[in-house]
Amino acid sequence: MNKIGLIVEREFTERVRKKSFIISTLLTPLLMIAMMVLPSVMMLKGNSDTKNVVVIDNSPEQFVGKQLTSGKTVSFNLLAPGETLGKARMQHKSEYGILVIGSDILDNPQNLQLVLNDASSMSVEENIQSQIQGILRTERLKRYNLENMDQILADANVRVNSLQTLKNNEQEDDENMEKTSTTASWLMGLILGMLLYFILIVYGQQVLQSVIDEKQTRVLDVMVTSCTPFELMMGKILGIAVVAALQIVIWAVLIIGASAFVMPLIMGGNNVEAALAAAQNVPDPEVLSMVGKFTDVSYLAGLFLELLLYIVGGFLFYASMYAAIGSAVDTPQDAAQFNGIIMMPVIISIMVMMSVMNDPNSNLVFWCSMIPFTSPIVMMARIPFGIPTWQVAVSLVVLYISFILMTWVAARIFRVGVFMHGKKPSWKDLGAWIKMK
Amino acid sequence: MDSILKIEHVSKTYTGHKALDDVSMEVPRGSIYGLLGPNGAGKTTLIRVVNHMTIPDCGKVWFEGHEITADDIYQIGYMPEERGLYKKMKVGEQAVFFARMRGMSRMQATRKLKEWFERLGLSEWWDKKVEDLSKGMAQKVQFIATVVHEPKLLIFDEPFSGFDPINQNLLKEEILGLRDRGATVIFSTHNMESVEEICDDITLINKSHNILSGSVEEIRRKAGGNTFQVLYNGTPEQFSAAIDGKADLIGGSEGVIGGYTQQKIHIPSDDDVRAVIGTLNESVNLRSFQEIIPSMNDIFIRAVNGTL
Repeated sequence: MNKIGLIVEREFTERVRKKSFIISTLLTPLLMIAMMVLPSVMMLKGNSDTKNVVVIDNSPEQFVGKQLTSGKTVSFNLLAPGETLGKARMQHKSEYGILVIGSDILDNPQNLQLVLNDASSMSVEENIQSQIQGILRTERLKRYNLENMDQILADANVRVNSLQTLKNNEQEDDENMEKTSTTASWLMGLILGMLLYFILIVYGQQVLQSVIDEKQTRVLDVMVTSCTPFELMMGKILGIAVVAALQIVIWAVLIIGASAFVMPLIMGGNNVEAALAAAQNVPDPEVLSMVGKFTDVSYLAGLFLELLLYIVGGFLFYASMYAAIGSAVDTPQDAAQFNGIIMMPVIISIMVMMSVMNDPNSNLVFWCSMIPFTSPIVMMARIPFGIPTWQVAVSLVVLYISFILMTWVAARIFRVGVFMHGKKPSWKDLGAWIKMK
Repeated sequence: MDSILKIEHVSKTYTGHKALDDVSMEVPRGSIYGLLGPNGAGKTTLIRVVNHMTIPDCGKVWFEGHEITADDIYQIGYMPEERGLYKKMKVGEQAVFFARMRGMSRMQATRKLKEWFERLGLSEWWDKKVEDLSKGMAQKVQFIATVVHEPKLLIFDEPFSGFDPINQNLLKEEILGLRDRGATVIFSTHNMESVEEICDDITLINKSHNILSGSVEEIRRKAGGNTFQVLYNGTPEQFSAAIDGKADLIGGSEGVIGGYTQQKIHIPSDDDVRAVIGTLNESVNLRSFQEIIPSMNDIFIRAVNGTL
């Protein structure tokens, strides 16, 4: 145990002192903030470039063209009746495009053309299509000559977007039922699953590299006579895990701190909610429910603890698989052939996680959240839906035991693999190495 | 014999290649034991078997009177031929790390290591990174890391390779010093001169077999095969007549040096040596009479070629 501690200490101090650690610790949050900020900045300021569209309207009394409203995305310039496309094409070369509305547009909505002088733009096309669709729909309704037409139109424009979902607490009274939110739960699981995926890719590779380095620098001959391979593997995995934890905590602090202070500055006075509200003109009740849910401290603390156990367990288990691979090969190039087997369960997990939203208790999802290869990611997506505690407990125990077992296997492969330098192991060899005394 | 390590009939086969074939040897406590052999003979495999890094197919290894276990290897200090140190780590910290891995406390390790660094002229390198060291210095660091926890048994694989003569001597002195303080030292080498100088006993391995074992003195005398170099003043006829029946000439006379003729002879029986000297002394003017003891280098080459 003492030796594991020593190896952990060495791995940790050596890694934390490296320039690359300091640089990546400081640069990554900058990148992430940039990724967060850029879209909002673009959303707020990027579209100031309004596209000018010249409109040739051949419809009766130019009823379409007159009703087109200019906005941030497109501004319309209606030409006098009788203008021809040929002439307009010569005269308005510098405009974004020329919209030609056919004379029979009301009966033949297909008779619509946009001649572009510039690259096409999805948002401009959508804007024009939806505006014209609205105009035509209203005009067609008007043809029925109903009374109070305007009022009917306004009244018919209804949206259903609030379905309150509640968790049945199996008690008589209808009060005190916990609000649940499928979208919010799933979203949170997804984010955490992705986070784990990211951690695995970044730090799992470091475990792999570290084990390979041990062989390439030939320190292992000395190490193997000072400690058992199991201690060495365990020390390396835990050492890198501590580094990962430290780095993630620093990132979290930097990102939260930065977004609290920097974001409002960049938004130029507009606060974030306003930006969100501007983006979606109606507040999504799902979002509201999520916000409500996340202000419940005890719920959050419990959830956080469970998720933390899965992130740590998932990392350790996968790291031990990377260690096993590092033990079996001599160079990172050779490791590539085994990399697939690690990524396979991760990809399967993410696919299963997608299906959790449909049914968090299906057979597939249940078993995938018990098997250690998939359980960290799948269970993280399930937990926010409210999963029986025994399931979480069993799955966690299986995960942590698997981690110890896998480390042991890695140590076996390491011990034998080391002394068979230069030979790429086959699957058969690996099996034999594990069994070897 | 009080032996610290005993290897009995050890064999090891790697895929299609026999690395060790029925090798036995016994290392007396407190001795310096040379493990000799050409490249690829199986020395390193044997060392790994002793270190419990490689499990032999058959045969046994005894340490301190019991069959060696995984725990025993922590009482063995091992310096592998391919030296390995963490390149990015600072020299002093690394040495302390290895010392602590072998059970020393941080304080104890630091104190001892500073002494050793001082002795081998490395003090100023304590805070440098390993990658900044020259090869020789890195080897010294490795040597210190191997011996600092004062293990009972030390195994050095080619300890002198990569050192200049001055540092080779320095290292030799240190190895002798370790032996004098009670450690047993096994080292494998190609450097036969160092074997003559410091080894008490040797085992010579060739093509995975143990072909020669014993104390250096005995082996050299045996290999000499009772051959003597004689310098005398007289005629060859007188000389031949004097040794007739007791000794044989080896070749003809090897020329005259300062008026004295040089001649090699072979005396089959040890008992006859004095008699031969006596008769020669009477018949010719005897200048010198000296047993020819072959160098370890000769013995090595002859043993490997099968002409010993």
